[in-house]
Amino acid sequence: MSVKKRFASRLSLYVLLLAGGVMIFVAAFSMFFAAATVSSESVEKTERILDNTILEIERVITEVERAVDNVDWVVHEHLMDEEFLYDVTRELVKANPNIVASAIAFEPGFYKGRKYFAPFTYTGDLSHELHTIQLGNEHYDYPTLDWYQIPKLLGHPYWSEPYYDDGGAGQRISTYSMPLTDGDGKFFGILTADISLDWLSNHVTSIKPYEHSYAFMIGRSASYIAHPDSTKVLNETIFTSAMEMTDTTALSIGRNMIAGQRGLIRFRNDNEPSFVVFGPVSNGWSLGLVCTTKDVNAYMNALLLILRILLLLGLIVLFFGCRSVIRKQTIPIVEFTNAAMTIAKGNFQATIPEVETKDELLKLRNSLDYMQRSINEYISELKTTTASNERYESELNIARDIQMSMLPQNFPHREDCDLHAMVTPAKEVGGDLYDFIEVGDSLFFLVGDVSGKGVPAALFMAIARAAFRFIGALGLSMADVMSRVNDCLCDGNKNEMFVTIFAGRLDLKTGEMEFCNAGHNPIVIISPEGKASFLRAKPNLAAGLFPGFPYQEERMTLERGSRLVLYTDGVTEAERGDKVQFGEPALLAWAERLNPSATAEGATANLFACVKHFTGDADQNDDITIMNILLK
Amino acid sequence: MNVTINEEGAKALVKLEGRLDTTNADQFMKDITPLMNGSHQEIEMDCTDMEYTSSQGLRMFLMLQKSVSARGAKLVLRNMKPHVKEVFDITGFSHIINII
Repeated sequence: MSVKKRFASRLSLYVLLLAGGVMIFVAAFSMFFAAATVSSESVEKTERILDNTILEIERVITEVERAVDNVDWVVHEHLMDEEFLYDVTRELVKANPNIVASAIAFEPGFYKGRKYFAPFTYTGDLSHELHTIQLGNEHYDYPTLDWYQIPKLLGHPYWSEPYYDDGGAGQRISTYSMPLTDGDGKFFGILTADISLDWLSNHVTSIKPYEHSYAFMIGRSASYIAHPDSTKVLNETIFTSAMEMTDTTALSIGRNMIAGQRGLIRFRNDNEPSFVVFGPVSNGWSLGLVCTTKDVNAYMNALLLILRILLLLGLIVLFFGCRSVIRKQTIPIVEFTNAAMTIAKGNFQATIPEVETKDELLKLRNSLDYMQRSINEYISELKTTTASNERYESELNIARDIQMSMLPQNFPHREDCDLHAMVTPAKEVGGDLYDFIEVGDSLFFLVGDVSGKGVPAALFMAIARAAFRFIGALGLSMADVMSRVNDCLCDGNKNEMFVTIFAGRLDLKTGEMEFCNAGHNPIVIISPEGKASFLRAKPNLAAGLFPGFPYQEERMTLERGSRLVLYTDGVTEAERGDKVQFGEPALLAWAERLNPSATAEGATANLFACVKHFTGDADQNDDITIMNILLK
Repeated sequence: MNVTINEEGAKALVKLEGRLDTTNADQFMKDITPLMNGSHQEIEMDCTDMEYTSSQGLRMFLMLQKSVSARGAKLVLRNMKPHVKEVFDITGFSHIINII
C-alpha cells in the first residue's frame, strides 16, 4: 500500500468515525421516538377498532330491542287472535335479519284450560325458511327456563346468557326477553327475540387489526360469547383460559371486563408479549381485542430496518466520498514525496510538481524548491572546492617528490662505515632534513628540524639544505660551517623561521668526530658493548635567528663499533592518544635493546616501528627523521 | 593554551597555562599580539602551568622577544617547569630570552 493510500484511508476513517458517530447518534434518537410513536399509535388504532365494533354490536342489539318493543302493543291488541299471534312472531323473524327466532310465551293458565301456549317462529339453518310452531309442551316446560324466569322476576327486559337452543332454532343463541304486563301491571307472558351467536362470533372474530390479533366477547358470567376458537364459546369462561396461563394478569382482565370497565392491559399471552383493549357493550357483554407486541413491532422493525439501511448506505457513501476527495487533495504530497526521493537518489535536477492552491501545499512546494536550489548551489561550490583542493593536493604531492629527492638516498656502503636515514613528514611536505657528504675518509653528516610544519617549513628546509650542501663541502671547521649557514639563513628571514641542527664530521679512519649542536636534540651514542647514552653537547642557538652568533664546535673520539643515532623531536615527542610522549628514556631503552649487529637500515626501521607501535592509531603530529651511523 | 594578561601601568603580567603546540600556535599568536604591538615597558610571563611548547611555539616567543627588544622593553619568563626549560636550553633560546 502506498503512502498516499494509507494517509487518505486513515483520514477517511477518522472523518467516517466522527461523522458516522454523529449520524448514528441522530438515527438512534429518531428511532427511539419513532418506536414510541408507533407503539402509542398502534394502541390508539386498536382502541378505535374496538369502539367501532362495539358500536356495530350495539346497533344490532338496539335493532332487536327496538323491533321487540315495536310489536309489544300489537300483542296487547290481538291477545284474543291466536293466529295473528303466530303471524307476529313470523313477521318479527322475517323483517329482521338479525333475529333468528321469536316467541310469545304466555303464563300457564292465561288462556283457560291451556298449560302451555307459545307461538314460535324460527329460521332454518341455511335455507332461511321460516317454521312456525307452538313451543310449549310436556318436554319443553318453558316457564322454568332462564329466558322466561329471569325477566319475569326482574320485571324488565333481559338479555340471556348465551346458550345452545336445542328446543327451537338449534344453534347458539342469546335471547332478548321482554316481560308482558296488562294494564294493571300484572305479568302474563314473555316476548322474545333470539340472535344467532354464530353470526356474532363470525363477525367479531373477523376483526383483525394485525396479523396475529384477535377479538373475543364475554357475557356477564364471563363465558365466551365469541372467540376464534369456537369450541370455547359457551364451554369456557375467560377465567378458564386465564387459569391456564402463567401470567396472572389475565385474571384481572376478566374481572375488569365483567365489571363493565374500559381499559388497556399488557400481559403475556402464551408467553407472547401482548396487550388487550376492552370495553363494555350496552347489554352487559364485554368485547376484548388482543394484539401481540410482535405485530406492532413488526411495523416498527420494518421502519427501523429501512433507517438502518439508509444509515449504512450513508456511511458507505461518506467513506468512499471522503477517500476520493482526500486522495485527490493529497496527490501533490505523493508527487512531492516522489520528487524528494528522486532528489535523495542523486538526481538534483528533478522537477518539483507545481501546485495550484495557495496553502500549506504551496509552502511545502516552495520549501522543497528552496532545498533543491540550496543543494545544487552547495554541490556546485563543493565541486569547485574539491577541484581546487585536488589541485593543491596534486601540487603538494609534486612538492613532496621534489623535497624527498633533495634528501640523498644513495647511502654509503663501506667496510668501515654503515649509514642510513629516513624522513616521514607529518603532512605532505615537512621541515625535517638530513644530509651526508663523503669526502675521502671524512663523512660530513647532519640532521635538522625547521620550526613549524608544512609548506613554510618545507621552503625553509630547502634553503637550509642548499646552504649545507654548498658550505658543508668547503672543508671548513664545524663552527665555521654553522656560522656561515646561520648567516645565510638569517638573511631576509622576516618570519623568524629557524632550524635546529646537529652536524658533525667523522674521520672514518681514526673515529675522531667534530660536531656542533645548534639547538637540536641530544644524539644517542651506543658503545660497542651496547651501552647507550645521550651526547650532552654545548647548546648553541638554532640557526636563522641571530646573524653572527658565535657557534662553538666540540670534539670526541668514537670507538670502533660505536653507533650514532640522530633524530628530530618527532621521535621523542611522538604522542599517544592520551598525550603521553614517547620521551627520551624510551629512546635510551630502545637503544639498549638494539641488536648490536643490526645494520644502519635495520636499526632505523626498527626505531621507527617502535615509535609507531607506541603512538598506535594517533595521528603523527610532527615530522619524524632518524639517522643511524655505525662505525665499523 | 590559556593566556591571561593583567596590566599594571606599563607592566604586563601574563599567565600561561597548558600546552602550546601546532594546533593552537595561531591562537597563541593572536593572544600575544597586544603585547607585541603594545607599549608595555616590562612583560613578565608566569610559566608555572605551561606544560609543553613545540618549535613553532618557540618561534612565537622569539618574535615576541624581538618586538619587545625593538622598543627597548624587557621580557621575562618565570617559574618554567624543568622539562619545558630544557627545550629552551637545547635550542639555545635561553641565550636570547630571559628565563628566571
